Amino acid sequence: MPPVPTTEAAPVRVRSLPPAPHRRRRRSTPLLGRLWHFGLFAAPGVTVYACFVLAPIAVSFGYSLTNSNPFNPPTRFTGLHNYAQLMHDTEFWTALRVTTILTLLVTIVPNVLGLGIALLLDRRGKFYNALRSVFFTPVILSSVVVSIVWSRLLDANGPVNEALRALGWHDPPGWLSDPDYALYSVASIISWQMLGFCVVVYLAGLQGIPQELIEAAALDRAGPVRRFRHVVWPLLAPALTVNTVVLLISAFKTYDYIKVITNGGPGAGTTATIAFNVLQTGFDANHVGYASAMAMVMLVIVAAATAVALRILRSREVNL
Amino acid sequence: MTGRFEWVRPLVATCLSAVFFVPLYLVLANAFKPGDKISGSPASLPWPPTLDNIQAVLTRPDRLFWVSLTNSVLITSVSVVILTVLSAMLGHYLARSPSRWARVLTLVLLAGLMIPPQVILIPISDVLRAVHLMGTVPGLVLFNVGYYVPFGVFVFSGFIRTVPLELEDAAKVDGASPAAVFWRIVFPLLRPASASVLIFLGVWIWNDFIDPLIILGPGRGTTITTGVYRAVGQYQSDFGSVFALMLLATLPVLAFYLALQRHFVKGLTGGATKG
Repeated sequence: MPPVPTTEAAPVRVRSLPPAPHRRRRRSTPLLGRLWHFGLFAAPGVTVYACFVLAPIAVSFGYSLTNSNPFNPPTRFTGLHNYAQLMHDTEFWTALRVTTILTLLVTIVPNVLGLGIALLLDRRGKFYNALRSVFFTPVILSSVVVSIVWSRLLDANGPVNEALRALGWHDPPGWLSDPDYALYSVASIISWQMLGFCVVVYLAGLQGIPQELIEAAALDRAGPVRRFRHVVWPLLAPALTVNTVVLLISAFKTYDYIKVITNGGPGAGTTATIAFNVLQTGFDANHVGYASAMAMVMLVIVAAATAVALRILRSREVNL
Repeated sequence: MTGRFEWVRPLVATCLSAVFFVPLYLVLANAFKPGDKISGSPASLPWPPTLDNIQAVLTRPDRLFWVSLTNSVLITSVSVVILTVLSAMLGHYLARSPSRWARVLTLVLLAGLMIPPQVILIPISDVLRAVHLMGTVPGLVLFNVGYYVPFGVFVFSGFIRTVPLELEDAAKVDGASPAAVFWRIVFPLLRPASASVLIFLGVWIWNDFIDPLIILGPGRGTTITTGVYRAVGQYQSDFGSVFALMLLATLPVLAFYLALQRHFVKGLTGGATKG
């Protein structure tokens, strides 16, 4: 969950940076000096990034054009065969559907609930700070710990169902063992963990809104609903952008929860995400070529979704 | 906006956070309960509390807890220190460089923020195997540095744009080398950004599951997070140990969070741009 630490109204300052003359001066430094500067400051980071992110993507693309399988040599070039096979693979389409549902739920639910709780906690003082910490604590927990705890809670005979039975629901479903519910249960668990993140980002957004604007709207006899709709909500646009993009990216690569809670089941891949299938196919079944093709499709989808989301959300943002 | 119903606010807020807190309570309570009570009445208060579970985890003959704790501390601290230094320098270079290709490089790095690890893990395990670093701590550290450098650069370059250029120029006029300018003048000013990077990457790398699982492999190499996962597989029935291990695995990161809480929230919310 990479947070984007520029939620608040910084643009004013950025624009008042020292002007260009300096930059022209910098250009005139000798070529050797600039190379040395690059080698000293940029090269180490760029090299590691290139070796461990960029090159592997290229290699992965290369693998995706072969039938590579370390336990079944020789490896041959098969062109787009893996991609064609993917299009007819029902398992892949199921995974795509599971990933889409999960991503939508995990992007929307914590966003909506987070906004509600942020509005509720939007007061100064130790009491509200303490409550904010309660909501934030799951964010710093490991997804493995969260998964194990919730598997216990939602077990068919776990505390949740015990409580439901005590309340008179005689036959509550196995939240994680029933194929009809498992995906939604996993989405709820992830939402529980990410909720605090949204709360904190929205709270910061709310506390960055100039009080004068709200008072001015109140003087114009705008009620709480209209003040929210026309003043607060538009000014929360940067917070919405941060939350949506972070949730989108992290939900899309959901793996840990699936691995620990359901291992892709119950039934045939009812909770298997693409991220989960890539690693199962690549490392457990050793179909490296096919898994790489899956990974490439995944990369294209997440890049496209992020770009679209950023474009839409950014266009809503206003500068004060 | 104080209305007639303002008194409801703390009430609703308290109730909601209490419900929200239940799973956390479960870890806390069950770590101090004897095994039969965990399955029998998981939600009950741990009274009288027992330290048996914690002791059992700490004194396991295979020293799983101590080995994985050492690994986690080592991997997290080394990765985070290298990441802070490398991404501060790279972020500074990119934020101050006027050339167009520095902007392109920035975009290429930022694109790395959204790349799922699954896309690169298969080739990376091949690369690491080729240089005999697969299954080793240095291999995982190298991977962490490469994978998280975009986040560091993102935080630092955003922050550096708010640091006035005049300071650097003045030092340069006095004849200081670029390296001296950076380490003596710029880096100390970047403390809030460094705090964000340390905190976030520290928590992520500590909690990371998939990367250590695959890179360190099933051998003796294990981090505290993968250790918890393995413990569940091994001790299906002994949930006392699992809860104790989870508590012990979480305590360091929880202490870290509570100590640096202020910076945490700042780092999350544009503290980086406000200084």
